[in-house]
Amino acid sequence: MIRRREAKRRALGCAWTVLAISTVAAARAQELDGGAPPAEADVATTPDAGSVAIEGDAAPAEPEAAPRPTDAASDASTPRSPSGDEVSAEDLAAIESALTPEATAGTEGGTSSSASTAGSPSALQRLLPDIAIVADFALAWFSDDSPLQSGGHDPSSNGFHLQQLELSLRSVVDPYFRFDANIVFSLFGVELEEAYATTLDLPAQLQVRAGQLLTRFGRINATHPHAWEFADQPFAIGRVLGGEGNRGLGLEVSWLTPMPWYVELVASVTQANGESTARSFYGPNDLGVDSPADLLYVGAVEQFFALSDDLSLAWGLSAAFGPNGTGHDNRTEVYGTDLYVKYRPISRASDLVVSLQSEWIVRRRQVPGDVLSDVNGYTQVLWRFARRWAMGARHDYGSPPYGQNGEATADDLDPEWTDHRHRATWALTFWPTEFSRIRLQSSLDVPTWRETPIFAAFLALELVAGAHGAHSF
Amino acid sequence: MKTSTLLTALAAVGAAISAVFAGPSGASADLRVVATVADLGTLAREIGGSHATVTILALPTQDPHFVDARPNLALELSRADLLLTVGLDLEVGWLPTLQIGARNGRIQRGAQGFLDCSGLVTTLEVPSGPIERSMGDIHPGGSPHYTLDPRAMENVARGIARRMGELDVPNAAEYRGRADAFIGRLRAHRARWEQTLAPLRGAPVIGYHRSWAYLASWLGVRVVEHLEPRPGIPPTPAHVARVLAIARRDAVRLILQEAYYADRTARVIEERSGARLVRIAGGADFAGGQSYIQRIDQMVRALSRAWQRAESASAATR
Repeated sequence: MIRRREAKRRALGCAWTVLAISTVAAARAQELDGGAPPAEADVATTPDAGSVAIEGDAAPAEPEAAPRPTDAASDASTPRSPSGDEVSAEDLAAIESALTPEATAGTEGGTSSSASTAGSPSALQRLLPDIAIVADFALAWFSDDSPLQSGGHDPSSNGFHLQQLELSLRSVVDPYFRFDANIVFSLFGVELEEAYATTLDLPAQLQVRAGQLLTRFGRINATHPHAWEFADQPFAIGRVLGGEGNRGLGLEVSWLTPMPWYVELVASVTQANGESTARSFYGPNDLGVDSPADLLYVGAVEQFFALSDDLSLAWGLSAAFGPNGTGHDNRTEVYGTDLYVKYRPISRASDLVVSLQSEWIVRRRQVPGDVLSDVNGYTQVLWRFARRWAMGARHDYGSPPYGQNGEATADDLDPEWTDHRHRATWALTFWPTEFSRIRLQSSLDVPTWRETPIFAAFLALELVAGAHGAHSF
Repeated sequence: MKTSTLLTALAAVGAAISAVFAGPSGASADLRVVATVADLGTLAREIGGSHATVTILALPTQDPHFVDARPNLALELSRADLLLTVGLDLEVGWLPTLQIGARNGRIQRGAQGFLDCSGLVTTLEVPSGPIERSMGDIHPGGSPHYTLDPRAMENVARGIARRMGELDVPNAAEYRGRADAFIGRLRAHRARWEQTLAPLRGAPVIGYHRSWAYLASWLGVRVVEHLEPRPGIPPTPAHVARVLAIARRDAVRLILQEAYYADRTARVIEERSGARLVRIAGGADFAGGQSYIQRIDQMVRALSRAWQRAESASAATR
């Protein structure tokens, strides 16, 4: 019956299903609200919802839900704290033995001393995930017919592009997990870019992420185009980690160390294959997993120094190890370091932001008959000179692949790439609000193995609709 | 294999670090409180007394809508027993990142160590009817700038004391007592402030950002226009011209602006009309030890001074 409702009224119906399936969850939402139960009752009896015929087995859900508000109200009105009485060790032992391992789940959220808020969204809305849509469009022009854009979201030919349409869904699942999904639409398909759970309360400052995730190698890899200062990816990322970055199904454990400053250790293991991911590993050339050595391992140390209220420095070291697709037992190692320095005066009124970001990656690959090494990196500067305006400049570099004999050699992964490549990029960004962005960008690409450099110009538009996602540093 | 060597090394380093620092990271005060903004922080400091160590995340000189989620702030949250937030989506652009990064279940939304103080006040400027972002950066739950109304802060103080008492039962009575004492002092000062600012009752004022609902409700001033054409959208020349016309027409005496916004456009209005600009601190000077009462007192004196200057200027031109 409930299903039929859902068909009639999708958004509300969805929440209704949640409500009916777990009246407990609804009751908890009421408890969190303190004095709010009447609002909940309003929803339950609203003529809109009532107009849908409630048949047989759906009916019990209502009477069951109805008495709950009074329970919740009395819960909230009586103080839950043990009013000063000490709890003896004996009491605690009795409590512990009474509570089986599944214990404590319901105890945390219980009391809230908050009064009801007239304008707070209804409990129904609050149970839905936060939904945001990010659209990136670009108009591009290149001086060359075959430009060397390597990012999966990069504009890569003359004309209009949909760089991505990202549907982002985020929700806290329960007191222990949160769930994030980023689904990317292109004109010709859908891709599950990320979908992972994050633990919220593991002991010892540990955190686990599990699912399809972008690994935390370096600074840019784990981020989405929305967070980038340029309309395209540094080519180092595309060349080494892949057009869609280094990501895959897997597991990540991170530990916030108890050092006096911020030190985080990250370790992840993911699948080494992917159409345009994990490029220096299996990538599209999947040789399968025969042993744990056929998975992709990433380790990282991230440190942050608040040099002053206005000045921040973040420094990371990353490494990735795994098999590559050139043959059985051929391995790849990637080492990276990244630096981010940001000056943003907050101890006085100012719109100024100046930031420097640099990331350098060394890669070594066993290929049939040789070991290839190369160096790739970028350095970029952003200057936000007004509340809505910023200018950025970036230099990209990629070395030729060197063989064991120290000489530049050919690489099957990038057959054309036999020499040094430099690219200089300039961008001007205007944010009408924090929900939209217009960017003009131009670049001069000098792949020295080609006869002529490549000029490029982009005009990009980004729109963010829906829930306001929080930005990471 | 290199992989296993690295992982072993990481584990060894980790174990060594945790052995060294496990001790000091234990509790020193009874309660570690983190407040997102200075006004809540100073209140928590008042109520917690010697039993609480209080830190804040956003500086009072900083726009609390746009705070960088600097990882050192996540570190503060990882050690916190209680997180006080303004709520109403004020911190939505940065706090969730920090909460996740903190790996601390005690201060996640829904836990006892998370207190959204907006639940303790009667919210104003709650949009009625459908809302969308074309209306600017509006707060769907209502205006979050309630810390400027000392009447609203009475219940916030009570709520903070109650929650501190729930988390730290042995000191509950003391928290309650300190909150009551604070409210008593606040009321005494409020009577004085209201007397000082009585002339402002009914006066038209201009705001920069839409931050003044609670202050206006307390003092009885009428906010006739804002310099931002819509919340979050910087002033445009045409809009500023309109505001200037209104300032002249209504004989506006005061322009209210948070000190963390650039004051160029407000100065234009000030120069070309009888209105005087009052730059109001974004929060108490927490690092300098300012109390909430001192902070409001400072604001009241600034308002009063500007009012008198505007009055005397207007009397001189008459």
